[in-house]
Amino acid sequence: MDSLIYNTLSPWQWALMGLIPPALIALYFLKLKRQPLEVPSTYLWHRVVEDLHVNSLWQKLRRSLLLFLQLLVIFLALLALLRPGWQVDALVGERFIFLIDNSASMSATDVRDPDLNGGLLTATTNPASSRLNLAKQHVAAMIDHMTSRMSAMIITFAEQTQVVQQFTSNRKKLRAALQRIKPSAGRTHLGDALELASGFANPERITSEEDGREYEVTDPSPVDLVILSDGCFEAVRGFSLGNLRPQFLPIGSVKALNLAITGLSVRPGENRPERRQVFVQVANFSDQAQRTVVDLTLNGELVDAAELEIAADDISGITFSLGEISEAALRARLEIPPSLADRLQLDNTAYAALNPDRVGRVLLVTPGNPPVELALATQQVGHWAVVEKRSPELLESLEFQQLAESDTYDLMIFDRCVPPRMPLANTLLIGRIPTVPQWQKKSSDRIHFLPQIVDWQRAHPLLNLVELGNVRIADTRIVNPPPGGKILVDSSQGPILAIAGRDPYEDVVLGFEIVGRGTDGQPIMNTNWPRRLSFPNFWLNVIQYLASGTMRQDSPVHQPGESLELPRTIFGNGPYAGSPAKDSKLAEQERADQGKLKNLAVILPDGTQQALSPPQHGVYAFHDTFLPGIYEVRAGNKRLYRFAVNLLDPNESDIRLHTHSLGESGLRRVDSISIGYVDIAAQTQTVASRRELWKWLLLAVLVVLMVEWYIFNRRVYV
Amino acid sequence: MPTPSPLLTPELLTQLERLEIVTRKMFRGHRKGERRSKRKGQSVEFDDFRNYVSGDDLRLLDWNLYARLDKLIIKLFLEEEDLHFYLLLDASRSMDFGQPSKLAYARQLAAALAFIGLVRADRVRIETLGQASGQRSPVLRGRSSVPRMLRQIEAIAAEDTVSLANGVKNFCLRNTGRGVVVLISDLMDKQGYETALRWFVAHQVDCYVIHLLSREELDPEVKGDLLLVDCEDHDQAEITVSAPLLAHYQRTLHAFTHNAREFCTRRGIQYLLADNQMSIQQLVAHHLWERGLVQ
Repeated sequence: MDSLIYNTLSPWQWALMGLIPPALIALYFLKLKRQPLEVPSTYLWHRVVEDLHVNSLWQKLRRSLLLFLQLLVIFLALLALLRPGWQVDALVGERFIFLIDNSASMSATDVRDPDLNGGLLTATTNPASSRLNLAKQHVAAMIDHMTSRMSAMIITFAEQTQVVQQFTSNRKKLRAALQRIKPSAGRTHLGDALELASGFANPERITSEEDGREYEVTDPSPVDLVILSDGCFEAVRGFSLGNLRPQFLPIGSVKALNLAITGLSVRPGENRPERRQVFVQVANFSDQAQRTVVDLTLNGELVDAAELEIAADDISGITFSLGEISEAALRARLEIPPSLADRLQLDNTAYAALNPDRVGRVLLVTPGNPPVELALATQQVGHWAVVEKRSPELLESLEFQQLAESDTYDLMIFDRCVPPRMPLANTLLIGRIPTVPQWQKKSSDRIHFLPQIVDWQRAHPLLNLVELGNVRIADTRIVNPPPGGKILVDSSQGPILAIAGRDPYEDVVLGFEIVGRGTDGQPIMNTNWPRRLSFPNFWLNVIQYLASGTMRQDSPVHQPGESLELPRTIFGNGPYAGSPAKDSKLAEQERADQGKLKNLAVILPDGTQQALSPPQHGVYAFHDTFLPGIYEVRAGNKRLYRFAVNLLDPNESDIRLHTHSLGESGLRRVDSISIGYVDIAAQTQTVASRRELWKWLLLAVLVVLMVEWYIFNRRVYV
Repeated sequence: MPTPSPLLTPELLTQLERLEIVTRKMFRGHRKGERRSKRKGQSVEFDDFRNYVSGDDLRLLDWNLYARLDKLIIKLFLEEEDLHFYLLLDASRSMDFGQPSKLAYARQLAAALAFIGLVRADRVRIETLGQASGQRSPVLRGRSSVPRMLRQIEAIAAEDTVSLANGVKNFCLRNTGRGVVVLISDLMDKQGYETALRWFVAHQVDCYVIHLLSREELDPEVKGDLLLVDCEDHDQAEITVSAPLLAHYQRTLHAFTHNAREFCTRRGIQYLLADNQMSIQQLVAHHLWERGLVQ
């Protein structure tokens, strides 16, 4: 279809068409109906006509304007049948959705890099222009090509999907919307954008059920989906395009070089947990080994730096040791030498925030359980949490009701007793099933004897470094977690340890008692587990995991654009490290903090302050995490909490367009992107279409016909 | 005074009365008239002397000379005679075209010229080309004949076509007298006008050709594809009107009139191209006066 003409007729049809002009000329000569006019004498006229005859037939034809016009009409009509046209960067279709990737990788400035075979849409503007600007240019060009009957909408997608402009045929609006698109530092989530586009593409999709079969009632209108992205994301699974006709315009180059920090974590030292270690992982997304220097600053001051050599397409890590610090804002930055054309600056810096240590509060409700009490009395546990022991009578009291509603404790351990209602805290039940219907439905109080442990989830934080192979159990209850829960330990009789969420808390149920009560009422050991090394480890894990947040989240790291829940504990309902809650001064301080909670605000990395909206269901949510950096939660002037927002995504940092080889030709082609079961090939050109002339030709035919009619009637002499 | 007629308006008549037909040749008249004749005769204007020969009228002897010279000498005087003035009208059907028709125009012109002749006591004879060779028109003479002349002219109607050559030939055979002949015709004869005009030359008349064409012939306003039918011989010509065709027609027409003018000029025939839109007054007072037919 890229030739100048496009033949629509078969040869015999052309033969018929070819007969028309000669037939017209023949008719012109055979045109017998001349208007008779009596004249005084044909004497002069004969001489005129004779003279003209001398001038040959051709001259007569040449001077017959009407015949000429008729032939012109035929010629134009034949030309229209040939469908002349040419390839233009134009749009074909009526409704368009422009999906513009504004994820972190689209901030890469590689649009002028040398490229392989046309994988790149070349930019025409300044070399510093980013991929996003290039994508915007292309969309602007497509908007310019839109006709008045076309409508389009613009959606950007990164961590969050945003409708920048609803369907409109107003090109001015679309251009203005395009200008509003800003780069983000988020990861790419095409799936959400596709869902959104699909929803907009078929707003009135209605199905009706007849005879158990579904029929679509409304005709779906096809929508052209133009995806402008660098393809730095995972394939989208489980999505049906339906009416969407996707096109993928890859933006970027295949040789874009990038060094990136892909990991940053702050951990307690292995030997001395109070000392922190910072681990920085650097990835080299290029085909050559690179050297770079990693700087680490603590609260704005350089504390360490190290040189790192990373092989091509490899990652390398480096560990920095910090002293005993409890509160810090860390920044790791790659010092890229100027000779190195690093195309994405965004991922050269990573942040981490350390918050003051907080000791969790644990309530152990037990009629007496020496092994557990012993396991919770270790120095390690004391570092993480303060454990209070109460007897089961507490459960019947009014005090427990207050405790259960006040979320004073981070963890409540119920040994051989069941709370009448689940408290606002994480719980661990030993030898009992919670009274919650979800648990009761699947588990029962029936006792199973001598279960053999068959498997356990070694990867789960609760079972970290817990070896259960040598554990014997006398009897147990089988615990089947409600939907969404997870079986942690499985035995020959069934699950005996399970965990399930109860937003925002988690309940752990241990099916077997550790210390049972014999028929004589004397305590007896139900298991040999307390004598195993794994027992204290398990309880340490329990305290770390359930009493002090998810595995001791010192340096909470979030992705840009991610919505996050601020931990409840930061708002002052727990004792601070090294100072038990009973300390009266601290208690006063806490009350003062509670009073200040009204002025909660978050300081963004760029210094702006944003008020924190009131909690919903006891949860403070924060959404405006678009900038990478350190965020501070403040109550008045007091800093409550800090968290870091980092990209740290190898998918985004690998900004090279993914290519594959085309057979033996040595040519390379940009990979297609996969949506559902459909592969969308990368288009090397902008959306090209064929602009055809036949409509204009037919219009010209009409005009010529009108001119001919006018001339015929008005006898215009030429 | 002559009776007012549509052919001649009073204003025209007053103008015409001041004019007279002029001939560049001197012809013998039949009767005493107002024009000098080749013949010597009895007028008051002296012309010449000559010797007396026997048989001469004795009344013409110049007795004074005889007394002085003792010779018989006769005194000759100029003779004044009338002029033969012929008006030959082409009354073929082709003349019956135009607005006003060429024939009507020709009749009007003929009436005007005939009036001048009658007023100046010339012998005026009005004939048409289609007249049979034996049928002669009456000779009109004197102012009193104006009504007859007008009636005769008014009676002229378009008649069957006779070729120009035959018509002129018949005219020449019918009228042996010399004089002034005014031919009013469109000269549209497919056999050509040359033979006809040669007859005049041979007849030694003082000939004026008034080539009368209608506006429709000079500047045809035709459009489209036409089948032109000759009104006389029903000959047909197919034309498709276009600007080049019209331009070519103009060139042909111009060549036709130019050739006619040249043909006439070479043979001492006065040629005048007239169209039916021209007023009679203007034609007579300017163009014919210019060409010396009237003065």
